[in-house]
Amino acid sequence: MSGVLALSPFADSVPLFVDTLGAFFRPRTLFGVLVDGVAKAALYIMIASGLTLIFGLMGVLNFAHGSMTMVGAYLGGLLMVLVVGQETGDPTRLLVFGLGVVVVFAVLAAFGGLLEIGLIRPIYDRPPLSQILLTFGLTLILDELARIVVSFYGLQPISEWQAAMATKPDVLGQQHDLVVASVSGLKLFEIACGILAVVVIWVFLTRTRYGLYVRAGSEDSEMAAALGVDVRRVFTVVFALGTGLGGVAGILLAWDPSWGASVPLAVETLLPAFVVVIIGGLGTFRGTVAAGLLVGLIDATMTWWFQNAIAFTGLPEMTIFLILVIVLVVRPQGLFGVEEVGGH
Amino acid sequence: MSLLSLEAVHTYYGDSHILEGVSLEVDRGEVVALVGRNGVGKTTTLRTILQLTPPSEGQVWLRGEDITGADTHEVADAGVGWIPENRRIFSRLTVEENIHVAVPEGRNIDAARERAYETFPDLREHRHRDAGTLSGGQQQMLAIVRGLVGDNDLLLVDEPSEGLAPLIVSAVADALAATATETTVLLVEQNLPLALDLADRFYVLDDGQVVDSGDTNEVDDDDERFRRYLSA
Repeated sequence: MSGVLALSPFADSVPLFVDTLGAFFRPRTLFGVLVDGVAKAALYIMIASGLTLIFGLMGVLNFAHGSMTMVGAYLGGLLMVLVVGQETGDPTRLLVFGLGVVVVFAVLAAFGGLLEIGLIRPIYDRPPLSQILLTFGLTLILDELARIVVSFYGLQPISEWQAAMATKPDVLGQQHDLVVASVSGLKLFEIACGILAVVVIWVFLTRTRYGLYVRAGSEDSEMAAALGVDVRRVFTVVFALGTGLGGVAGILLAWDPSWGASVPLAVETLLPAFVVVIIGGLGTFRGTVAAGLLVGLIDATMTWWFQNAIAFTGLPEMTIFLILVIVLVVRPQGLFGVEEVGGH
Repeated sequence: MSLLSLEAVHTYYGDSHILEGVSLEVDRGEVVALVGRNGVGKTTTLRTILQLTPPSEGQVWLRGEDITGADTHEVADAGVGWIPENRRIFSRLTVEENIHVAVPEGRNIDAARERAYETFPDLREHRHRDAGTLSGGQQQMLAIVRGLVGDNDLLLVDEPSEGLAPLIVSAVADALAATATETTVLLVEQNLPLALDLADRFYVLDDGQVVDSGDTNEVDDDDERFRRYLSA
C-alpha cells in the first residue's frame, strides 16, 4: 500500500499540505494575512472608488483611470523628492505627504473636470464604445507622455522610482509589534488612509446635498434633471472627484515597494480596480468597499499559500480574476449591483 | 397670457414622428386633462414641455418666455414639476432622501417633509426605508409628494392611477384634487372618469395631433367625442 502511495506524485504533498495548513491557522500567520489583506483592500478601494463613482453616475467606463493613478504617483513622488531630504524627519515627511495629497487631488481633479467638459461631454449621446475608445486612447497618450518625460529625466519608465520610495518616513519602513504579530508600518498607514478615504466618500455621498444628487443621478439622471438637478454640472464634479481620488491613491503607491511610481502602474492598477468595481456591482460604492475587502483578503491569503506551499509568487494575481469569473457566473450584476445602472 | 403654451410642436424619437404640430394652452389655476389612446403622444407631450425630448419644430412658452431648447433642470427651476408614469422613484434612496432631492436649494426642507407627510401620512412611518422596498401604492404616493414639495407653478402628472388598487386611486385622486386648488395641473390619465372629475378642460390627442378640446362640464365619459378617439 505504501508503495502505491510512494509512486503517486501527490504522496509527498499531503503531509506538506497538512503542515502548511497548521502554519496558516497559527494566530500570528492569520493576523499577518489579515493585515496584508486589509492593506491591499484599502489600496484597491481607493483606486476603484473613483472608477465606480464615474461609472455609477455617468455610465462611462473610464479606461484612463489607471493613468490618473500613475500620474498621481509621479506628481506626488516629484513633490516629495523635491521637498524631502535625507535629514528630513518623519513628522515632516508625513506632512509633505499630506500636502502632496492635497496638491495631487487638486491638480488631477482640475484635469478631470477639463477632460469631462472638453472630451467626454460631447460624446455622451454616442454609443458606449465611443467612450471606451476615447478613454482608452487617452490612457495610451498619457502613458506615452509619461514615458517620454520620465526617460528625459534619466529614469527607467518601467522600474519603480526609488527616489520617491526613499522619501517614505522610517516609521513606515519598520515592522511594529501589534497584538500577536509584527506588521509593516506602511501597511498600517495604507489601512488608515483607506479607512479615511471610505469615510470621506461615504460622508460626501450620504451627508451632503451634492452627494444626494450623485446617488439620485446614478439611478435615474433624467428624473434627477426633471427635479431641478443640474446633472451636467454633477457629471463634471464627479468626474473631477473620481480622477482626483485615483491620483491620491497613486501618491500612496509611490511609497509601496509592491507597486512604486512607474509607467506600467497605469495598467497594473486599472485591472484590479475594474475587477473590484465589477465584483461589487457597477456603480455602487458600498459594493466597491465590500468587493475591495473580499479581493484584498483572498489575494493576501492566496499570496501566503503560494509563497509557503508552492514557493511561487506569480499566481496569486490570477485568483483575483478567478473571483471575477465566479461572481460573473453566479451573480452577473455583482454583489451589490442592480441589473441596470448608469446612463444619462 | 397663458402659463403654458405649446405652438405647433413637432417631436421625433429618432425617425418616428410622434407629435405632429401639437398646440395647446394651460392657464394659471386650471387643471387640464390630456386624453387619448396609448401611444398617441401624451407622455411625449409632457417630455417635450420638460425638454427631455426637445421639439424639432415649434415653441414651448412658459409665462410668455420661450423655453424651447432649455436644459431640463432650468425648466424645473422655472417651476415645472413632473409626476412621471411608472413613478420613477429613486429606489436606493430612502423616502426622506427622495423628498429631499425634490426640494429646491434654499427652501425649508423640514417644512417640505411635513407637507409630504401631511398629504400621505403613510409615508412618515416608512421615511427611513429604501424607496424600492415600498409597495406600488406607497411608491406612487412618494412620486406625487415629490412633485408637490417643489412648490411648482405647473405640475405635469402622467398616469397617476395606473396599476393602483381602487382604494389607493381614491387617495391619489384626493391628493391631486387638493393640489389642484393651489397649483396648475396638466394631467395625462387613461382613467377618463377620474380625468374629467379633476379637470376643468380637456384636449384629445390622436396620432400626435390635437383632435378635440373643450370644457369638462360640457361632456361625460361616455360622450361620442371620447368614444371615437379613446376606444381601442
